[in-house]
Amino acid sequence: MFIDFFLERFAGEGDKNAIIWQDRPYTYPHLLERISYWSKRLREEKIQPGTVTVLEGDFSPEAVALLLALIEQGCVIVPLTAAVATRKEEFIETAQGEISFIFTPDDQVRIKKLPGKGRHVLYDKLRAEKHPGLVLFSSGTTGKAKAILHDVEHLLQKYKVKRKDFTTLAFLLFDHIAGIDTLLYVLSNCSCLVTVEERLPDIVCRVIEKYKVEVLPVSATFMNLLIFSEAYSRYDLSSLKYIAYGSEVMLESTLKKSAALFPGVAILQKYGTTEVGTLRSKSRSSDSPWVKIGGEGFATRVVDGILQIKAHSAMLGYLNSPSPFTEDGWFVTGDRVEVDGEYYRIYGRDCDIINIGGEKVFPTEVENLIQTFDNVAEVLVYGEKNNITGNIVCADISLVKKEDGKKFIINLKKFCLQHLQPYKVPIKIKIVDQLDLSARFKKVRRKED
Amino acid sequence: MPEYKDIVELILTTIDEVNELLPADRQLERSVDTVVFGGDGKLDSLGLVTFIVAVEQKIAETFNVTVTLADEKAMSQRNSPFRNVGALAGYIKKLLAESGK
Repeated sequence: MFIDFFLERFAGEGDKNAIIWQDRPYTYPHLLERISYWSKRLREEKIQPGTVTVLEGDFSPEAVALLLALIEQGCVIVPLTAAVATRKEEFIETAQGEISFIFTPDDQVRIKKLPGKGRHVLYDKLRAEKHPGLVLFSSGTTGKAKAILHDVEHLLQKYKVKRKDFTTLAFLLFDHIAGIDTLLYVLSNCSCLVTVEERLPDIVCRVIEKYKVEVLPVSATFMNLLIFSEAYSRYDLSSLKYIAYGSEVMLESTLKKSAALFPGVAILQKYGTTEVGTLRSKSRSSDSPWVKIGGEGFATRVVDGILQIKAHSAMLGYLNSPSPFTEDGWFVTGDRVEVDGEYYRIYGRDCDIINIGGEKVFPTEVENLIQTFDNVAEVLVYGEKNNITGNIVCADISLVKKEDGKKFIINLKKFCLQHLQPYKVPIKIKIVDQLDLSARFKKVRRKED
Repeated sequence: MPEYKDIVELILTTIDEVNELLPADRQLERSVDTVVFGGDGKLDSLGLVTFIVAVEQKIAETFNVTVTLADEKAMSQRNSPFRNVGALAGYIKKLLAESGK
């Protein structure tokens, strides 16, 4: 029912490749067969519509087939990847997962019953409508991640219009809204999704050359890395037609250099949030930071310099946080924008959040952890501009009693690496006599200059 | 003005320090030919940023001068200063000369 339009399109595609995974092609007929297998298996396992189902995997053929089968079965899907390994238990508990499908690196699956009961008023709302759901996580201010619930029936609407067929690289993650958007877009146009094992420039470029990738969705950070690695000079990237970037602000120097390096490629800015999904967008030109965003089902407005979005495909709400919508249903993105006619220039978050290559870091989460480390008196975490990842996390720390600074810093970084996702670990740590409590606000002000 | 070999030594000392925090399969070899980033280089994006910040800090401590290694200027070089340790040392020497050190 929900995925009929996918299945009809897949059936008309002959032996075309759907997914390249671990350097092996898997065709649309294969994907159809696996969706049918998983639909049957879900019934055999007595997984009822509305069941909160955790899917630990990546863009592998089996995980993709299961994802579609779960949508068809009307389940609530919670995709998780290895990138959130340190927070897996917290996420599963927040989502109240009832059952988990865990994919191994060779695409085998293990099914595990979970203690969660899948109880939530928002889940009840979905079940009453008999619609499938999707739970995604986004950083929360105190370090507790926000669980975002989407109605998949609404999300799928925009893929019902068939668009152009482009071989596309799966750069963004399986548990991110942009990664899911890439997957659904590719499948809805019966294109080929090319996966990579690691998101390093040479690996990505090798795959582009080998499979003649046409669309490369990336982060601004990846473009910096691509330029500094010179990987573009070692491979034939002439198949590329579009580079789509988003999730963080791209420096104008990076944008100009990218446009110069890839003269025949259209470089497009994308915009979206986990709460409202990905909007359709059009950059003024390849080297311009100005972009038109919207598309069917989306409306935008700017209030006090901050972008607000109204979307048909917006989330139902947070499972663990109050509704962020205005009374008239607009989502306040928190992103400061400038307006020029139909075009926006997006400057990013107007608050303490540190954006590291598209990943958000809330200073309080890192401060709360560092505060528990031995001999820390006070700690202040803030962002500092960086030309590769946009920003880096820095920490100023005062100690209870004097000790060897170098050793302390290395031990503290090791401690952080055990407890935080790597991008949240402070890169610069300074030991100070006393904290300048206005420091963070100063940094924020400097960013606005 | 620091000699090329002093700067190479500074980078190699930084490699030792950064290796302490890197997983075994991501560690950099202590050599002038070690690729910093790209090709068969070992660093990922956060590893690269950590390494660059550590080298910048070491330069500030040792030569009392602030340099930025990854910026528009680095991006506009004909060859990336991060292709290996030797190239990075050469680039730093040039930056220090320009800053009058």
